[in-house]
Amino acid sequence: MGFIEVRGLSYSYPNAKKPALAGVDLSIDRGEFILLTGPSGCGKTTFCRTLNGLIPHFYSGSLDGEITVAGMDIREHSTSDLAQHVGLIFQNPDNQIFALTVEKDVAFGLENLGHDRDKMIEEIDWAMEQTGIGHLRQRATHELSGGQKQRLAIASILAMRPEVVVLDEPTSFLDPLGAERIFKVMDALNKDYGMTVILVEHRVDLAAQYVDRVIVFDEGRVVNDGPPSEIFMLDDTRLAGIGIPKIVELYKRLNSRGVDLGGPPISPGEFVSKMEGKLPSGPIELPPRPSNRELDEFVGVYRSNPVIEARDVHFSYPSGVQALKGVTLNIHKGEFVAIMGENGAGKTTLVKHFNGLLRPNSGNVLVNGADISKQSVASLARSVGLVFQNADDQLFSENVREEIGFALRNFGFESDAIVKRVDWALNLLDIDRYRDSSPFILSGGERKRVALASVLAWDPDIVVLDEPTIGQDYSQKERLSHFLMQLRTQGKTTIIVTHDVEFVAETKPRIVLMADGRVIADGSSKEIMTDSDALSKASVSPPEITKAFGALSGRGLPGDVLDVDEAFDVLSRLLEVGG
Amino acid sequence: MSLLEGLRFSRGDSPLHELDPRVKFLMILVLFTVAILFTALQPLIFIFIIQIPLVAVARIHREWLKTLKGGLFMALIIFASNLVSFYFFGGRHLTYQNVEYALTLTVRFLVLITSFSIFFLTTSPDKLSLALEKARIPFEFNFAFITAIRFVPVLADEAQSIMDAQRSRGLELDKGNFISRIRKYIPILLPLIINSIRRSLELAEAMESRAFGASEERTNLFDLKLGSSDIAVLAISLMGLAAFVYVRFFLPAFGPLLPPGQIL
Repeated sequence: MGFIEVRGLSYSYPNAKKPALAGVDLSIDRGEFILLTGPSGCGKTTFCRTLNGLIPHFYSGSLDGEITVAGMDIREHSTSDLAQHVGLIFQNPDNQIFALTVEKDVAFGLENLGHDRDKMIEEIDWAMEQTGIGHLRQRATHELSGGQKQRLAIASILAMRPEVVVLDEPTSFLDPLGAERIFKVMDALNKDYGMTVILVEHRVDLAAQYVDRVIVFDEGRVVNDGPPSEIFMLDDTRLAGIGIPKIVELYKRLNSRGVDLGGPPISPGEFVSKMEGKLPSGPIELPPRPSNRELDEFVGVYRSNPVIEARDVHFSYPSGVQALKGVTLNIHKGEFVAIMGENGAGKTTLVKHFNGLLRPNSGNVLVNGADISKQSVASLARSVGLVFQNADDQLFSENVREEIGFALRNFGFESDAIVKRVDWALNLLDIDRYRDSSPFILSGGERKRVALASVLAWDPDIVVLDEPTIGQDYSQKERLSHFLMQLRTQGKTTIIVTHDVEFVAETKPRIVLMADGRVIADGSSKEIMTDSDALSKASVSPPEITKAFGALSGRGLPGDVLDVDEAFDVLSRLLEVGG
Repeated sequence: MSLLEGLRFSRGDSPLHELDPRVKFLMILVLFTVAILFTALQPLIFIFIIQIPLVAVARIHREWLKTLKGGLFMALIIFASNLVSFYFFGGRHLTYQNVEYALTLTVRFLVLITSFSIFFLTTSPDKLSLALEKARIPFEFNFAFITAIRFVPVLADEAQSIMDAQRSRGLELDKGNFISRIRKYIPILLPLIINSIRRSLELAEAMESRAFGASEERTNLFDLKLGSSDIAVLAISLMGLAAFVYVRFFLPAFGPLLPPGQIL
């Protein structure tokens, strides 16, 4: 019998029409490292809540079936009993930190359990060491970076010495290196202490490399369960909603063309070692690529016409934090630009200058050739539409129609024009069926689309999206990427602020890399994603495919391959020649 | 709002920061009581002067000056309203004694905000909560207090994000008449309230996951123990109180500083 035994588990939230869990059967042993994934709303989070008894003790509703953890029936034990065996870590680190100093927060659970002081200090020391936050011991919790906060949240759970740690999308708000660090911490705990880890993630590319079992949820059920090398190889349509690691996708496509690498690789390293055996032994000469100009190569045509110019922009917040230390940047009409960099590099601060929410302390920002200093936010917003990261920071209306019409009324559109534009925006984002619904009953992805529609409704020429992929599952990201393509074909200038390297590898914008309030690199996706110095300064790691080709570039293969299509193209040409 | 600057803890490692919060509270209470006890200008100026070295030792002079600057307006109101009421209720004339009394009340106000500043600027909320715990205040209240402090910066950030999002959608907060301006805060307040409700649910989940309320005998990582310097400060404070009480009740009252005579 497994450490966690689940039989026919079903659950409905109070007043819900559909059950969130509909017959889950699972057995999880000690020491497993599990990736739990599935499309948004598939029941992953609900399942996590049953593991420490938040369901049914905190959330009422109807629970059927059986679930035992460490031999304890969750119905018969309180959450505080179960919490000593199962530690839950949530998405937003801010909402799980209670104390004002780091050390005191790690102690919180232990204090609740009534441990004595010597025992507490011992556990705190251990937990902080495991998560690498020992040097932050005396710091105030609100001064930490996002990645540090999340590691603190993990330390606070570890200090209670649970046998199982469950992390529900712990890296959503983190930059790529911050995310990788979390995975490494969990990996070490799993290897060194045999801790059972259950990781809920949308970022399968990175996570898949650490786990030994993948469980896929859909519509409240387990639809697939097995080691990553098997699960991601299935041609199951039920996998469509979650996406598979790019390396596995490449393997599958090569395999279908008869290239046998002998079992799927999960990490770039594995791919490289498998691939090396297939490469011709002598120097490799790649036949010229058939001419196939991609969209980003046409962008050069627009280069003469800057719509946003930042000239030596400096900005400090009233708290004294110097967020921008001399940014100079031109963005041209029709361009598609991604601003990347670690948390706190100044990305969001910079884009807030584009519609005048912030004004430079020194330097100038020009939009369509006019200095922003003489213009109000409302007038700048007509040409620069800014969509913020968290849709919940703007939704307030009774229904979706009203929400989308809000800005139009502010801008003084005529009432029949408002009706027309609202309809247009509803169709554009494919949310027409929700026109009369309250925005608050929609799912996270749908709320994000309402927020986007509410800005696109007035048809701004420049669209700025702050972290559009956060919390979005694979198919929502696909939809977003198609939508961005559509904006580009309409000639709109599109700027995204993002951490999502895989999304960037697929959409290939011009990349502006920022670190510490400055632009440290600016160029095409290919240039930037292969500039390892600049990337590491900005805490960005290249896409998995690029990592693999970087390692193979010593053998004469191009190092600047970003996505599966291109990788497949290069390798199939090469292997035809070599074979 | 700079009057409130003096209530925000400012990190440091001065002897005053290290002092046991209970002793420090007692010390502040003594200053407070003494300031209320006297109605003459000389002792109040004296108390004000003895507070200055405390501020210097704690190295909080910058924050303290900000607080005084913020309190200046309030002080002027106290001074002016006293003069005005003396003039109108005292038979439409004003004496030097009236001015001296108004000045006394103003200095008392400065003494009070200074003592508050010294306490709150040098006492971390963690220590304060520890002191509350020692005073057998139920942990739930204590926890609520800490959580409120913990989430002030988080909520401030969130309010800023909401304002930014709505201004980006053309909301102009500073346009229109009074009523329409108030209506314009609806798009800001609603998301703030809804997010707070959502956040409180998440917080509750995280609390449960950290075994909140598991043990009747909740322990604390830190403990308060009176050290020798704490006892010394305690003794000085109590002796000071005794001395001031003696001066106030057993010695002749302080005479006026300003000469008698009418101004208006």
